[in-house]
Amino acid sequence: MNVVRAEWIKARTLPSTPWLLMGLLALTVGIGALAAGTLHAGECADPANCGEDFAKVSLSGLWLSQALAAVLGVLALGNEYGTRMITVTVAAVPGRMRILAGKAGVVLALVLLPAVPGVLVVSALARPIYAHNGFALPGAITGASLRAAGGTVLYLGLVALLALGVTALVRDTAGSLSVVLVLLYATPALALVVSHPTWHDRLQEFSPLTAGMAIQATTNLDALPIGPWRGLGVLAAWTAAALIAGAVSFVIRDA
Amino acid sequence: MSLRHLLRAEWTKLRSVNRWVLALAAAAVFTVAFSILASSGGSTDRQPNVAVGPGGKPVADDFHFVHRTLTGDGSIVVRVADQQNSHPQAMAGVMIKNGVTRGSSYVSIAVTPGGSVRMMADFRDVEKRAGTAPRWLRLTRTGAHIATYDSVDGSSWREIGEVDLAALPATAEIGMYVSSPGEIRLERSAGTTSVGERLTTGRATFAEVRVQGSAGSSWTSDDLIQPGLERKGRPGPSGTTEAAGTFILTGTGDIGLNEPPDDTVQIGLFGTLAGLLVLVPLAVVFVTSEYRRGMIRTTFAAAPARTPVLVAKAVVMGGVTFVIGLAAALVSFFVTQPILRAHGFGPPMFPAPSLAEPRVLRAVIGAAVFLTLLSLLGVGAGAVTRRGAPAIAAVITLTLVPMFVGSVVPAAAARTLMLVTPAGGFAMQRAKPATDWLVEPWAMIGPWAGLAVLGTYAAVALLAGGWLMRRRDV
Repeated sequence: MNVVRAEWIKARTLPSTPWLLMGLLALTVGIGALAAGTLHAGECADPANCGEDFAKVSLSGLWLSQALAAVLGVLALGNEYGTRMITVTVAAVPGRMRILAGKAGVVLALVLLPAVPGVLVVSALARPIYAHNGFALPGAITGASLRAAGGTVLYLGLVALLALGVTALVRDTAGSLSVVLVLLYATPALALVVSHPTWHDRLQEFSPLTAGMAIQATTNLDALPIGPWRGLGVLAAWTAAALIAGAVSFVIRDA
Repeated sequence: MSLRHLLRAEWTKLRSVNRWVLALAAAAVFTVAFSILASSGGSTDRQPNVAVGPGGKPVADDFHFVHRTLTGDGSIVVRVADQQNSHPQAMAGVMIKNGVTRGSSYVSIAVTPGGSVRMMADFRDVEKRAGTAPRWLRLTRTGAHIATYDSVDGSSWREIGEVDLAALPATAEIGMYVSSPGEIRLERSAGTTSVGERLTTGRATFAEVRVQGSAGSSWTSDDLIQPGLERKGRPGPSGTTEAAGTFILTGTGDIGLNEPPDDTVQIGLFGTLAGLLVLVPLAVVFVTSEYRRGMIRTTFAAAPARTPVLVAKAVVMGGVTFVIGLAAALVSFFVTQPILRAHGFGPPMFPAPSLAEPRVLRAVIGAAVFLTLLSLLGVGAGAVTRRGAPAIAAVITLTLVPMFVGSVVPAAAARTLMLVTPAGGFAMQRAKPATDWLVEPWAMIGPWAGLAVLGTYAAVALLAGGWLMRRRDV
């Protein structure tokens, strides 16, 4: 328990942490509301059956907020390597797996702190925006929209843990962050120009970002390259691989 | 220290850190490798139905043509009594053409519902004047010289234009034609983008048709049409009806250059996206690592004015990036073009691009400038934040995320995104004009707009960084 407390104090007192948490909240709500505002019923051929994925559009802040979750995960460990604080940490807690587990718990808690209210607020905020733009939304909250909202929170947590795992492997703030951003953003960019159907689908199925963000889909699930939960599973697999590789490296290497 | 010494100092710092040199090499390798990957995954179905014009360029040559054979000199005069408004660029007029093969040489003059009298030769506009149907049109041939005229009353004529067409043989087809281009619809909504074309059929009435010269005695009616177009279903049939010297023609299609929007040069330079993922962090760290290690105090003690330090860092980082970027872009260009050809991006629809073409050279240099400006943006952002992580995250997400978001939001929003984020810089790598026809949002703005957007970002970041450096304590 002391490990978790120590990690919590370290993470909480980083000067960047409050900014990152506020940024995560602001991006989730702000981008989501902006995106929701771009949809107008008048532009649909058939406003009653527009085919828009309302839940997904209002949660599109995830495109940017995940970068902040990644920064949070990287800084939790990368900063210690930067300042050599890590030597003190491993001297105080010789069980290195415990350090990493403590950091993982703290990182997860820090990400959920702005992610949960952010997703709730933007979901509530989007409904009047859609109504104002002329859409008639069904009143009840559906299982699919709950999956999209909850999945968005899980996604942010998984990305932060992925970043933590990569940092344990790379041990440098800038380097780790670059690796995480490449993992997240390079494959979907490639998918933009790769038009060969097989390769296009394969890229989207195995990329942590495109597969993971399938969790936000609530309509037209058949057209997705991968199903929502399986997609989030792909991201979870990337996270698990990064954490395991990071943990092994953290335990066997000299700090 | 003078600027020269500062430049030397910064250059020494850059080249003496092993992992930075490694990163620079990796950036070049990633750029080429990613370009190859992007080119290998491409495929196109724009190929099979294309006609080839006299210059070897892909052309559209689809219309309905009622014609007679004319040997030697001669002329045709008609009165376009009426033209249906099927499309603003639909044409109703007269033409002389080398046979009825699609893509062959021709000269034409026609009126359009959009209000112009348009003279064309070999798929290019010769002249455009104001005017609509009803209107008299005249086309005369004297050897290789062809002149066109129009008139509102049939007695006083206005010359529209003239052209020498050596490729036209002594015996050619002369007659009336009707064309009507398809309406292009690009539907972008949150989630999907689809491109569709709705065909239109034009219809016009020609009266008082007179052909002078040694012409064939009977009219022949031909439909020049893209093979396979029938399958798509036309709104009305093409054809000719004649009654007492008055002809009513209906026709579908368009005449003109038909260059596809897909840009093989840009696809072959797409690897800069991977290069920037290495170069931007490097540029940021080139500044922030000095703060982390406290080295910045030594640097500022040696150069108390501070601003020249940032200038030197920007010049060194920008210069190195430009050289590496240009080398990677050149290699990418030469390596990917054969790959793209093998994947269907070949002539005639996609003539092999050459560095001798100004627009291709501009795109290749544009790729290097794109990387250079991004790395300058990185230097500036690093100077502003003094910490690596936020600057790297900000520059990379602002550059990449609008690309993805822009490919799924409505067109107007996508264009705005490209004009307000560094992602617009990708437009510098396009050799072809801006188009709304592609999924790639940066294709919607031109290369110079892209340069302006990214250049502004880099300049503002450097100015802000320089200002803060002077103002703040280290």
